[in-house]
Amino acid sequence: MTELASGTVERMPASSSAGAAGAAIVLHATGLQRRYRMGQEVIEVLRGLDLVLRAGESVAIMGRSGAGKSTLLHLMGLLDRPDAGSLQIDGTETSRLSRARRARLRNLNIGFVFQFYHLLPELTALENVMLPLMIQHGTLGWLAKRGAARRQSLAVLDELGLAHRARHRPAKLSGGERQRVAIARALVAQPRLLLCDEPTGNLDERTSETIADQLFALAARHGHSLVIVTHDRELAARADRRLLLHDGHLGAA
Amino acid sequence: MFKLFLAARYVLSRRVSYLGMAAIAVAVGALIVVVSVMSGFLDETRTLVRGTTADVIVTPVQDTAHGPPMPRQVLEQLTRAQPGVTGAVARLIRPAIVKVHGASTLLLNLAQFSDLNVVTVLGIDAEAEKPVSGLELYLHQVEDATRRVADPEHPFAIERSLIRDPKLKNAGLPHCLVGEDRMETLDLHPGDALVLSTISDNQEASAEAIKPSTQIFVIAGGFRTNHHPTDMANVYVERQDFLDWCGTSTEVSELYVRVEPGRDLAAVRDARKVALRSAGLSCEVETWQDRHRVYLGAVENERTILFCVLAFFVLLTCTITFCMMIMMVQEKIRDIGILSAMGAPSAGIGAIFAAAGGAIATGGAVAGYFAGEAVARNVDGVKDWLEDSFGIQIFRRDVYAFTKIPSVVDSRLDLLICGATVVFAFVICMLPALRAARLDPVEALRHD
Repeated sequence: MTELASGTVERMPASSSAGAAGAAIVLHATGLQRRYRMGQEVIEVLRGLDLVLRAGESVAIMGRSGAGKSTLLHLMGLLDRPDAGSLQIDGTETSRLSRARRARLRNLNIGFVFQFYHLLPELTALENVMLPLMIQHGTLGWLAKRGAARRQSLAVLDELGLAHRARHRPAKLSGGERQRVAIARALVAQPRLLLCDEPTGNLDERTSETIADQLFALAARHGHSLVIVTHDRELAARADRRLLLHDGHLGAA
Repeated sequence: MFKLFLAARYVLSRRVSYLGMAAIAVAVGALIVVVSVMSGFLDETRTLVRGTTADVIVTPVQDTAHGPPMPRQVLEQLTRAQPGVTGAVARLIRPAIVKVHGASTLLLNLAQFSDLNVVTVLGIDAEAEKPVSGLELYLHQVEDATRRVADPEHPFAIERSLIRDPKLKNAGLPHCLVGEDRMETLDLHPGDALVLSTISDNQEASAEAIKPSTQIFVIAGGFRTNHHPTDMANVYVERQDFLDWCGTSTEVSELYVRVEPGRDLAAVRDARKVALRSAGLSCEVETWQDRHRVYLGAVENERTILFCVLAFFVLLTCTITFCMMIMMVQEKIRDIGILSAMGAPSAGIGAIFAAAGGAIATGGAVAGYFAGEAVARNVDGVKDWLEDSFGIQIFRRDVYAFTKIPSVVDSRLDLLICGATVVFAFVICMLPALRAARLDPVEALRHD
């Protein structure tokens, strides 16, 4: 178990990560702060949070509603900027990167899985999965890489048992299938870091188990680092580490 | 690549996109058709007016009461000597009240007074006229063979047997040529007679009453210029008959001048002015465009106004695309968040919506271009089909004096309309696109 945090929580060296000790650091957050202004009131959601995540490692982050789990996930996913602190992804300090470079870094290194799947309804399952690869290329580049991207996307869908549903639109898929398509989309560009926000929160128990099995198996097989924000203790139990976000800091759950 | 791909999907998956395209297509098509038809009208009107008017018209400024009349021969010779002038012929012109001989009333209908009871009488020398004006052509253009002159070489000649009224047969009356439209309207034929009444020059200015000078003219035949107003208003008589009827000493009312094709008419006009002034002759000189500038200007003005109105309509349909893009961005806020999460750059996200707006505008404008050009090129066929299908009269020949709806398709202008529509729509769609690009991805993902 490895944890760290600032302030009252013990700060652990990155190399002390269980299970992935010695592996390269994929994400290194130091002293992350994030506050929101609500009228006259300033709400400090994160108060100098630290986190080290190594390659192939999985971390579950728990906490009560409103604790700042999603805020943390958005910061780690470079969708938001911290008010203070440092965040390195794969050794790159991201706090001063331009919006475009952050987008590029996100595209190449980070995959997202959301509770409500967030698939684009106009696209088929395969097209949804291909989208991150499409974003990587300009028109001409895409024409050259399209075949390979298609094969790659189909392979990921196949790994998730959805090759036969590749041409279906999200509206024709069940909740579990949609989430598997969302996982395939998150994995297709082979990101270093996979960020999941309540990935089973919208599924029944049995489907949740299947999805969790597949998610962890794929992450382990391909060496993705995994951060799961969840309320589900069973899901959290599968992670290498379980952390509790409380009062703006991370601590052992 | 994702920009074009998603833009295409967003556009193709929405029925409202097709409605937007249809609106733009209708607007662009309508603009192209109207501009083509109005250009056709202008062109046709120019041709007709051109055909009935001299290249340059010289009008002596004279007052017969205060000095000798402008000498015809001097004026003709001086004009013919001008470089570029191929012919010049003097005409005598005078307005007259007209009545069909034998008709019981003068005024057929007060409302029609200006149309039917007033004519412009032109006193011409038929032989001199032929090489200069289009008289010979006008005689041949008469559609009803029974109204043609017996001998175009001698247009004013008529067989005595054709004169209907026995009292007129041996009266040795002068003859005239009448426009076919007037002949049709009044059911006139060669051999019928018109009574023309005008004011002679031999008036005592201080007299209480104005004495008219009246003469019966037997119709020798008709002419057709295809310019309806001319074919209703003009009556040709022989020069000597005109002089006898009016008792005028005027030798020239106007000089009808033909100029070599390709010559700059304005330059010829200006040179004419200088030459006549040098010769001490006071004359107005004008080109055919000068003479009809109000009439032609009105048609041109109409075209411009219609262009502006329909162009405004096109812009309005472009703003529909703008509204559609605003709604699309609003509807796709969560997609924008997802795309941001996948690493799509802000500019790329904005480009999706700009491209979608551009695609709708382009689709509509291109469809409108082809539809508009197709209709404009076959406007008469479309008119016939509409008239046959719906039993409505779209085009009245008697109003416009054209046998068919004229249309001049200017593909360059049409392409310009098409391009301007696309550019305008694209530019205004940049606003919703910018909004999409600037959306905070976190807020977008949380959007419900």
